[in-house]
Amino acid sequence: MSPTVDDLTREFERCKAALKSYIVRITGNRQEAEDIAQETWIKAQRNLAGFKGESSLKTWLFEIAQNIARDHLRSLKRWPEEVGDICKDAAMKDPDFFREAMTIRQTSPQGHFEIREHIAFCFTCVSRSLPLEQQLALMLKEVYEFSVKEIAGIMHNTEAMVKYWLHTGRSRMIEVFDKRCALINKEGVCHQCTELNGIFNPKQNAQEEAVKIQMVRDAAKKDKEHLFDLRMKVIADLDPFTSPAAKLQLHHLEFDRKVMDRHLDTA
Amino acid sequence: MITTASLSAQRPATTNRTTFHRATTVSTVIRADEAIIWALLTNAADYPRWNSTVTSINGNIALDEKIVLRSTLDAKRSFKLKVKEFEPAKKLVWGDGKGKRTYTLKNNDDGTVTFTMHERIGGLMFPMYAKHIPSFDASFDAFAADLKKEAELIQNKAH
Repeated sequence: MSPTVDDLTREFERCKAALKSYIVRITGNRQEAEDIAQETWIKAQRNLAGFKGESSLKTWLFEIAQNIARDHLRSLKRWPEEVGDICKDAAMKDPDFFREAMTIRQTSPQGHFEIREHIAFCFTCVSRSLPLEQQLALMLKEVYEFSVKEIAGIMHNTEAMVKYWLHTGRSRMIEVFDKRCALINKEGVCHQCTELNGIFNPKQNAQEEAVKIQMVRDAAKKDKEHLFDLRMKVIADLDPFTSPAAKLQLHHLEFDRKVMDRHLDTA
Repeated sequence: MITTASLSAQRPATTNRTTFHRATTVSTVIRADEAIIWALLTNAADYPRWNSTVTSINGNIALDEKIVLRSTLDAKRSFKLKVKEFEPAKKLVWGDGKGKRTYTLKNNDDGTVTFTMHERIGGLMFPMYAKHIPSFDASFDAFAADLKKEAELIQNKAH
């Protein structure tokens, strides 16, 4: 039996938060996420008669949203894996960045700084160094728990290619975080989350905060696949629009996007 | 008919020499989708991750594009090559004035693909520098084995 508008409305409301969080994680743009979610709803309603039930309504909604976002994303240059270093330098030179961030910290109920929130933010930025298809497939699988078959439907490609994107994207991200992230590797070059914790939460001990996260506790085991799974779990457990640090992290994300736009224009 | 033995075994690379040319070929049967094998062969930046014979490939592996390849065969040299043929999931050819490397994929319609890599080098001046070019056989064997291992790993990975 074909779904009704009521079925679609219920499903859209059920997956709207996941849909918006997916879009903001792949576009880095809060307003775009709102707009694409809205456009997805309009297109889904308009095309409901054409829905053949070959996938779930949720998968179909993600497919519509991704189709809307993908053409724009394809026109954008990919970010370098050193995005954190580049944006940190830019933030240090920009007095407005910390002034705005501190205002959010002090006035917004979603202005807390938490290391686990920064882990999610960091992955959103670094994963933009992957080829687009790898980034999208990885997010859909590891964070939003779609199957390979469902991802193939969302991305209009074969299951074999989805497997390839997942494998190569995952391998690349494991390598990048193993090299960079000081939370899991003592030789890691990036300490940004603990440094920012010191700025936003000066009374806290950053190391004590970090070890509350299982990925950090398990780091000594050195099983890189396991650590990556735990990193993905941190991300999956957070909603970038409703988490306690949402406003602060969205501010950081907006800043990074603008910095990278300028950086890539001049590169 | 493809047998288990033929799937696991890879025939060693062979080289034929004439006065003006040298040609090396390796072939192996891979139990993976041809799209996966093709993606591995055409993603330049990803080569060093899975291929023990390639140090780096800069550029875009697409028709008429120029690439720069560095190989473990001669770590000091970089090879500036042009992609001369690009037939998705079937054939890829790159080369320069002295040689041409051809990759072919043949779908065996039984879940396997026969991968063949062939390189022909030479020309009128070949006899003068032939002795300075190392054998490709071991490198070709490693290339084919790495490709088979990686493609089958991706194909069989549980998601």
